Amino acid sequence: MIGYILRRLAQLLPVLLLASVGIWAMVYAIPGGPVGMILGENATPEQIAALRAELGLDRPVIVQYWAWLTNALAGDLGVSLHSRQPVVSLIGERLPATIQLGLAATVVGLLIGIPVAVASALMPGSWLDRALSGWSALALGVPTFWLGILLILLFAVHLRWLPSASGYVPFWESPIEMLRNILLPALTLGIYVSGIFARFLRASLVAELRADYVRTARSKGLPERDVVGRHVMRNAMLPFVTIVGLMMANFIGGTVVTEAVFTYPGLGRLLITAISTRDYPLIQGCILVILVIYILINVMVDVLYAYIDPRIEYA
Amino acid sequence: MRRSRELARRVVARGAAQVSLAWLATLVVLAVLAPVLPIDPLAQDLLAELEGPSAAHWFGTDELGRDIMARVIYGARTSLMTAAGAVAIAGAVGVPIGLMAGFFGGWRDAVLMRLIDVLLALPGILLAMAIIAVVGRSQAAALLAVGITGIPSFARITRAQVLSLRKRDFVVAVEALGGSAAYTMFRTVLPNSWSPILVQVVVLSSVAILLEAALAFLGIGIPPPTPSWGEMLRTGKTYLYEAPTYAVLPGLVLTLTILSLDMLGRVMASVLEDRHEIEEPAALQGGRP
Repeated sequence: MIGYILRRLAQLLPVLLLASVGIWAMVYAIPGGPVGMILGENATPEQIAALRAELGLDRPVIVQYWAWLTNALAGDLGVSLHSRQPVVSLIGERLPATIQLGLAATVVGLLIGIPVAVASALMPGSWLDRALSGWSALALGVPTFWLGILLILLFAVHLRWLPSASGYVPFWESPIEMLRNILLPALTLGIYVSGIFARFLRASLVAELRADYVRTARSKGLPERDVVGRHVMRNAMLPFVTIVGLMMANFIGGTVVTEAVFTYPGLGRLLITAISTRDYPLIQGCILVILVIYILINVMVDVLYAYIDPRIEYA
Repeated sequence: MRRSRELARRVVARGAAQVSLAWLATLVVLAVLAPVLPIDPLAQDLLAELEGPSAAHWFGTDELGRDIMARVIYGARTSLMTAAGAVAIAGAVGVPIGLMAGFFGGWRDAVLMRLIDVLLALPGILLAMAIIAVVGRSQAAALLAVGITGIPSFARITRAQVLSLRKRDFVVAVEALGGSAAYTMFRTVLPNSWSPILVQVVVLSSVAILLEAALAFLGIGIPPPTPSWGEMLRTGKTYLYEAPTYAVLPGLVLTLTILSLDMLGRVMASVLEDRHEIEEPAALQGGRP
């Protein structure tokens, strides 16, 4: 098992390294390079030379990359050009908000997606199945930023039940306030993933229902409820776990648009602000952190899948 | 050619595809004719700010008194042109990568697909944001960002298709007759791979339109005053109390466009899946090397 985890990590190492080179090289690709980024366009040649020496830009490129990488690995992602605060602490402040939103959206997605999938898989080809497939297509096609605006119009502007801008309230501080704040963004993202969950689970349920063991279970007189609940669901859930995991990985960076709709203070909003203020250390830090978490969750999903499915060999 | 006409005929025969095509055709016609229509997306009327829909302004007016419908129609030009350009970039880079990776296999496959994995190491919207962070905010940046994000899916689809054709008799025959690698790839394998690539073009157009709108919504897409659906949603969102239709109507047009493209893509994919008849490989119709 440990060998399997290590092998998966080893496979992803080249991807991580290449991506990190890309993120590091970002500042060198912008007009003016790292010096122009800090000093602006009106710097004197003396200032530029001094800063180049200070930043170590006169050293070989590979040395510069190595220094950046080892610093990053040690948790030093530099200082924000804008707020002068360490990038790591800025990201640390926003990460819990994004994780909380991602988890809430996953819960909403499962609450909608699983019943939709089960209902349509049990009656394939029926009008209900077609209506629910239509729902999935709609959930996947409607842009989250438009859906979010519609939800704000209904629940905040019209009914005045919920706030139109969502703050971050940790669950353990005030569960009710947290729910009030997170409900609309979680619903927006949750409806979207419910489309993915429903489609995927329906397909794997339909495939399982055709399996021989289902015919055996039915012919020995097992009630349909037990056939589905005890046998089919368990087997269909296996590949489904992967999809749920992958979606959660996606939420680490992929909530950026929803965060913008609800002015939610997560990692995505931090990144947008960083891009509009051209705060490159912060941009690099955000993307690097999102990338590492995204890849780590992917590995964890793989490992979890291998662990719960005894048919997969990882020896 | 004959087979793609056959595919088109079967797709158009489906009701769902007809509705989608009707919407998309209307949109394309409006976008093309926009300059000759009696509409002006930039004309301001400060006495008529943030009005709701009326006979004079079907979609109402924005914060500068500009006609929202005119801006939606010009926004269609922005969306469709970005999508077309981005899909062209993604296809021009992704298809040859997939073709080479699948055709040669071995280390070339490993290297190319690792590079594709790097592009996939971030969710698409973040990759696009990173690209814009480097090249700055402009029309070209938006096009490039959306285009690069689409490269992996073209590469993967093409590679999968090539792998399934690689050892087929007609490909082996062309090679045995002395066809060069380039000839075999581009004249034999590629012509037989068009159908799934075409489905991908439709699917990616939808993704590209959505991504362009999302970037504009985040304020880092195509810069104003170029009308863009995403930008209209972004501004409309700040006037939800004063003019709720401002954000709703452009969003509805965007949503219908994306749903139409998704629907069309699904119909095309299911027609391809249903087609069980044995196909005559295009290579054998077009002569020998």
